Amino acid sequence: MRKRENKLIQVYKSKKPYSDYILFGILLVALPILVDIGLLKYSYLTTIASILIYSIVALGLNLLVGYSGLISLGTAGFMGLGTYLAAFLTKDLNLPFEISLTISVLVPMVIGILTGLVSLRIEGYYLAIATLAISEILRKIFVEFEVVTNGFSGKQASYPTLLGFLDLGRNGTFILIVVFLIGIMILTYNLINSYTGRALSTMRGSEAAAQAMGINIFKYRLLAFAIAVAYSALGGVLYMHFVKYTYPNAWTLTLSLNILAVIIIGGVRSIPGTVLGAFVVFGIPDLILKRLPLIGDIDGAAYIFNGVLIILTILFYPLGLIHIGKDLKKLRFKLRKRKESYSEQA
Amino acid sequence: MSKHDFILKVEDLSIAFGGLKAVDSLSFEIKEKEIFGLIGPNGAGKTTVFNCITQFYKPDRGRVYFRNKDGQIEDLVGKKPHEIISKGLVRTFQNIELIRELSVIDNVLVGSHIEFKASLFSQLFRLPKAKREEERLRRKAEEVLKYMGLYHIKDQLVAGQPYGILKKIELARTLMLSPRMIILDEPAAGLNDTETLELIEIVREIRDKLNTTILLIEHDMKFVTDLCDRICAISFGKLLAIGTPEEIQANEEVQIAYLGKGDE
Repeated sequence: MRKRENKLIQVYKSKKPYSDYILFGILLVALPILVDIGLLKYSYLTTIASILIYSIVALGLNLLVGYSGLISLGTAGFMGLGTYLAAFLTKDLNLPFEISLTISVLVPMVIGILTGLVSLRIEGYYLAIATLAISEILRKIFVEFEVVTNGFSGKQASYPTLLGFLDLGRNGTFILIVVFLIGIMILTYNLINSYTGRALSTMRGSEAAAQAMGINIFKYRLLAFAIAVAYSALGGVLYMHFVKYTYPNAWTLTLSLNILAVIIIGGVRSIPGTVLGAFVVFGIPDLILKRLPLIGDIDGAAYIFNGVLIILTILFYPLGLIHIGKDLKKLRFKLRKRKESYSEQA
Repeated sequence: MSKHDFILKVEDLSIAFGGLKAVDSLSFEIKEKEIFGLIGPNGAGKTTVFNCITQFYKPDRGRVYFRNKDGQIEDLVGKKPHEIISKGLVRTFQNIELIRELSVIDNVLVGSHIEFKASLFSQLFRLPKAKREEERLRRKAEEVLKYMGLYHIKDQLVAGQPYGILKKIELARTLMLSPRMIILDEPAAGLNDTETLELIEIVREIRDKLNTTILLIEHDMKFVTDLCDRICAISFGKLLAIGTPEEIQANEEVQIAYLGKGDE
């Protein structure tokens, strides 16, 4: 039986999940069609699009938290910076979407790297403090730098135009988000299964081992943080072009903590877990709780829901809800084994 | 290069933590292809010596000369800990430092981290260059695992493996780069008699087949005297004696350090 289980593990290891990701993408792309034929409310589509965007952002944070063992509390700030840059570059400067996207991801990355250069030299946890500060500074800038940001009243943008002529509507933008999400999932999978991914895991597991094996801890911490910031900013850009509106109070610590909750609830070190977490944290309150009688009327029902869920997850699934699936599989395996042994006996 | 050239030469090594002199003007020399043991009672500063050699601690005084792959002699003091492995010097740890979340083979692959050259971009997109490199080194890791008798568990997670296996995985990880010298911190601690005998064989084989020099710390006197060509005994950070296992066993100062003086 042992042998068979080993075989199971091997099959599980050798299979690349690309096809699963792409299938998931195709299913998502079908959603706008459901809206068009009236099977799905438009508001659901908006919620799902933002869930997908938060998934991208959370994947970056998972790389940081799950693989590198660092914590950032500045996710919302960098995401907000992405939205404002995208709006400013496409609306105020009339730059093409592609160029705006590149700049809007690179600028936060540079700021992230500078933050990392200062805070990562000392200890892992200083990054949390430094990013919290940077995030608040950025939010202050969104409020005060009115010439560009319009202060509290916020800033607007429109659906993106690809290659200068392809005007994406609501559905087109939704598909663009799906494409980016699936792409990011695949790239992240590749990265964590490369030597860089192993280096990140090693430095999280044992700094001493990492150093003894020639892994430059500072370099890899900085790399992981830069990638996380880039994902946040990309999420911001996509958010700006789908929601078409950004304002300072959307980018508070609450959002950063919610994205942290996505990882804890969905699954640390798991790509599908991150997406599942985003659906749970950002989806269930919006799609289900709000529509329930009584509970829907409670202010902050989402906070209570997420809080309770975090406690339950840590108690029963410390590695995240994605492991429920594995448990079910194991249960089925056990049942089948039992059946087999019964039939053998008979 | 003759067999009698030194590969590692520690000269006047000293480090103090606060007022405590953990290592005090220690000097010794290890020859090429030697199995060299460092012994001493608890708290003698053995692991501190290792940490000073591999630059995890910065010694207050002294030099650590190492003959690298090209036959040149380099002072390791002042280098960063992650730069040491590229000189051909790899170590294991007293409390096994493996990554629980990674499979056995992935843990071993970490040992050849510095051999990976593919750019971040080609890793992200799994370009042929990154793929080829990964496959080549994975095959090498499989060979190392076969050699260590661990091939059958290569895809299992490290978490939950028995202690003896973990020790072997850690040793396998040091072999990935065909190092010039391996430093083993209490390799036999926690192993049973059969496993210890097996380990003696493995260490000898590594030395003979891979032309590697071995420096090890061990408490198990039988293990040390069976395996080592020469032994250095220290106590309270100071050198007591260097010599063959027989010489060390007969040395009076060593006996006192281990068993205490009669009139105390």
